[in-house]
Amino acid sequence: MESQEEQVNLNSFWYAEWAFPLFTAMLSAGIFAGTHMYYVYHVGAFNEIAIVAMLEVGIKGGSYGAAAAFGASFLFARILEGPLVGILDIGGSLLTGVGIGIPALLLGMGVAAPLESFPLALATGGVIGVIIGTIIVLIRKYTITASNSTFGADIMMGAGNAAGRYLGPLIIISAAMASIPVGIGSTIGAAIFYAWKKPIAGGAILGAMVLGAFFPILTK
Amino acid sequence: MDTVEILMKSLIIGAFVGFGIGAGAARMFHAPNVQGMGAFRTFGELNACEGDPIAHFSFGLGFLFNSWASIVGAGAFTQDVAHRIIPHWAASVLLWRNRNLAETLQDPRKMALVGSLIGMFLIAIMNSTAVAIPASLQLIATKVLVPAANWLINPIMPIVFWMAALDAGKRTGVWGTVLGGLAHMVMSNAVPGIVLGILIGKGVDDSGWNHITRILVVAVVLLFVLSGFFREFDIRMLKEFQMAVPDGLMQIHQIFKAGVN
Repeated sequence: MESQEEQVNLNSFWYAEWAFPLFTAMLSAGIFAGTHMYYVYHVGAFNEIAIVAMLEVGIKGGSYGAAAAFGASFLFARILEGPLVGILDIGGSLLTGVGIGIPALLLGMGVAAPLESFPLALATGGVIGVIIGTIIVLIRKYTITASNSTFGADIMMGAGNAAGRYLGPLIIISAAMASIPVGIGSTIGAAIFYAWKKPIAGGAILGAMVLGAFFPILTK
Repeated sequence: MDTVEILMKSLIIGAFVGFGIGAGAARMFHAPNVQGMGAFRTFGELNACEGDPIAHFSFGLGFLFNSWASIVGAGAFTQDVAHRIIPHWAASVLLWRNRNLAETLQDPRKMALVGSLIGMFLIAIMNSTAVAIPASLQLIATKVLVPAANWLINPIMPIVFWMAALDAGKRTGVWGTVLGGLAHMVMSNAVPGIVLGILIGKGVDDSGWNHITRILVVAVVLLFVLSGFFREFDIRMLKEFQMAVPDGLMQIHQIFKAGVN
């Protein structure tokens, strides 16, 4: 009964191989347009401050070399890794590669139009996304999916599930190390959630935030 | 009017980004049969909330304050918006009404559509507000959640995946251990290496050394060599073995990072 419920039609659009480039295109278009926002309004780049700062060096008149090399090398490694493990890491490939590396390459070459115009930014990001998605699907076609082995998918799923259980206790430990009020809040929150038969991670975070709002963590 | 323009553009960007993230995250649960996108840590953290809408919501909320402060202060969202807030909140909204994971979190169609709405909402609000976040709540995120999430990524996830590889048979154990150790040095986290080890080990267990498993090994070697090169693993290794780094090698690296100082 349960297995019937879990059966999904892997050929339908939402699970299909050929739909993957479309998803990467949507995401890349949004991320690239986010960099456009940053370029024009100085708000809305989808990355860490430190990484965006590399692009900022170029915008401010310095060299785009660091951002371009950093972004491009991440993009390259993740495109190769994605199809092999079945999960494309969007942090390295799209957020950093497409959002920082490619804009830096373009700006370094003096091509600013895709970053100055919003429609053009969406289109550029979309095309880049289609290319990345297609490369990944092609690599898969010639490796993983051409075989009847599951390549240990069940093992990885099991490990993924098991690793997640550690988060709750880790949050409490971390809260206890941050400050005593926050630690107490986190512990009580987790205990209440456990008594309510809910995953303790949520209670640990909420408890830490409630007590932290009243008794801020002291900074040196 | 800049404000209106930012709002309109943000809505469009949010819809696009949320759609891709939602669909990619749901597809992760069907990997490697279906190509997903997201991150191993996102996958682990989504699992960590065990299908509880409140856990998903508060996990996203915890990172929201930090991201909000970052966007207000520096114009950068941090990667948490894409890795954590959008997928967790999309999951939370879906699970609120239906606790069946297969029909919610693991369904790319629903996750894409809800992700799209969450993305529009989040990106529009975050980009167009300059409201300061209470500093005490920002600190909770950086002092409590960030260390916990970092421990989960290293060393908890490597260990759990490692144990799984060791328990899955001799071949996965050996490949997982070798590639895991290498990956922790080259890529700074063992999980991708162990996953590749399981992939190769199980692939060979199931279908022997055919052209697919051979291509896999070649691709893995290539991945390690290139990742190592771009992260300057070769230079670090020579230095740490107390050997001189040849000028030629330095020059090759210099070409690929022209202008970096």
